[in-house]
Amino acid sequence: MKTLNKTNVITAVVLLIGGLSPNLASANSARDTIISGFSSVAELPVSAERGKALFESSPAAGKPDTPSCTTCHGASPMTSGMTRAGKPIEPMAVSVTAERFTDLKKVQKWFRRNCKSVLGRECTAQEKGDFLTFMSSR
Amino acid sequence: MSDLNKNLKVWDLPTRVFHWSLVILVAVGLITGFISPESWMGIHVWAGYGTVLLVIFRLVWGIFGSEFSRIETFSFTIKQLIAHINELIFLRPLHYIGHNPAGAMMIFALIFFLFGISTSGLLVLGGEENQGPLAGAVNFQVGDMASEVHTTLVFILMALICFHITGVIIEIYLTGENLVKSMIDGYKVIPKGKTAPEIRPSRPIAAASFLLAFAILSGSVLWAFSTMPPSGIIQMAANSDYATECGDCHEVYHPSLLPLVSWAKLMGDLEDHFGEDASLDQDVTNNISEHLNVYAAEAWDTEASNRFSKVSSDAPYQISATAYWQRKHTDIDPEVFKRNGIGGKGHCVSCHSDAATGHFDDQNIKIPES
Repeated sequence: MKTLNKTNVITAVVLLIGGLSPNLASANSARDTIISGFSSVAELPVSAERGKALFESSPAAGKPDTPSCTTCHGASPMTSGMTRAGKPIEPMAVSVTAERFTDLKKVQKWFRRNCKSVLGRECTAQEKGDFLTFMSSR
Repeated sequence: MSDLNKNLKVWDLPTRVFHWSLVILVAVGLITGFISPESWMGIHVWAGYGTVLLVIFRLVWGIFGSEFSRIETFSFTIKQLIAHINELIFLRPLHYIGHNPAGAMMIFALIFFLFGISTSGLLVLGGEENQGPLAGAVNFQVGDMASEVHTTLVFILMALICFHITGVIIEIYLTGENLVKSMIDGYKVIPKGKTAPEIRPSRPIAAASFLLAFAILSGSVLWAFSTMPPSGIIQMAANSDYATECGDCHEVYHPSLLPLVSWAKLMGDLEDHFGEDASLDQDVTNNISEHLNVYAAEAWDTEASNRFSKVSSDAPYQISATAYWQRKHTDIDPEVFKRNGIGGKGHCVSCHSDAATGHFDDQNIKIPES
């Protein structure tokens, strides 16, 4: 370990942070923009608690095969889920899948489809903001 | 060797090797055609190639072989054949040193049907499977008709084999001569009072030259055919919307697996897509629809494109609801589809490794064990 002198370590750390941080920073800021887009039109301030409750609820108000989010996404946002057709779904927790919720078009598409499948209606801006806040906190 | 009878070498080595090789290849062909899983189709095809080579060899050896291998020595007239059958009816057949008239007829019939089976098999391989030297020359419809001919001829062949074996047993019983042993060691017993004819030797060099010439000629013809690209397979442009939007939730099915009307209906029904809302933005929907319009089943002539075009009227865009799909998977236990390595009936690629290309070759079937 003698070859690992202080300068090398510092250089490595600087390079590492320098290499990663712009991506993480831009991912974070893109996601923040999306969440604030929802929260700006929501009635209440967004809440991770309500997002958690929505994720774990089982409304069974949409299509019969998809009574809840967890049907496909799995019981925890930290773990992978699986589509009904057998394709793996990456965990939704941002701490596990860093690029989650950074593309507004994608976010809108999946909210539209999956809310209709599970809730039988489109989600409100409030629900979307809560949900993303919960996933960002995980 | 008794004083009265003597042994005579009747069947030369190539004829005996031919006979038993043919027995093995026909057995392999029947087993891989009727019993073993479809993934063994490669072996079936090789048994077919082997059979046709043996049949051609036998015809050539029928000219250049030693005395009793020559076709002329067992070419009988109809009169002789009827006389022989009469003898059989009265259970007193005359002794023939080589093939008797009934046996000779059987040889001609077997060779005729084996040739027909091999030829029709090659047409099925090229037409239905898009494989082999005729993949480019034969379309699906011809291959499909050849398939029925192939099966019919095989049933006739099986009947002939039964007659052949029965005939041999009857002759053994009536003449007391072990014909099976003769076909193994080549010797037959010459009864007293019968003089052995002059035995002309084989002409192996002439036979080999003839076979070589034939192999070069037929090989070149088949090779020329094989350079044609497989018929009914077109180049498909990549479409990233199709790959990602459909592929997010399930396997990306090859567009050739459903006809135009089914794809159109599926794209119109996306809000209720197999129990989920799978609607897309209008521009993405249009782009995918355009792709499907160009590359739906009608644009192809593969086995899958032809078979799955006959969709179920109840579920016109569910491939696993087609009669063909159900017939082909009827022997598979429903539990098998629940295995982790498979993940349901909609996951073709779990067992058909070439599903993404739309080929679905029999040889590429492998069912995961768990």
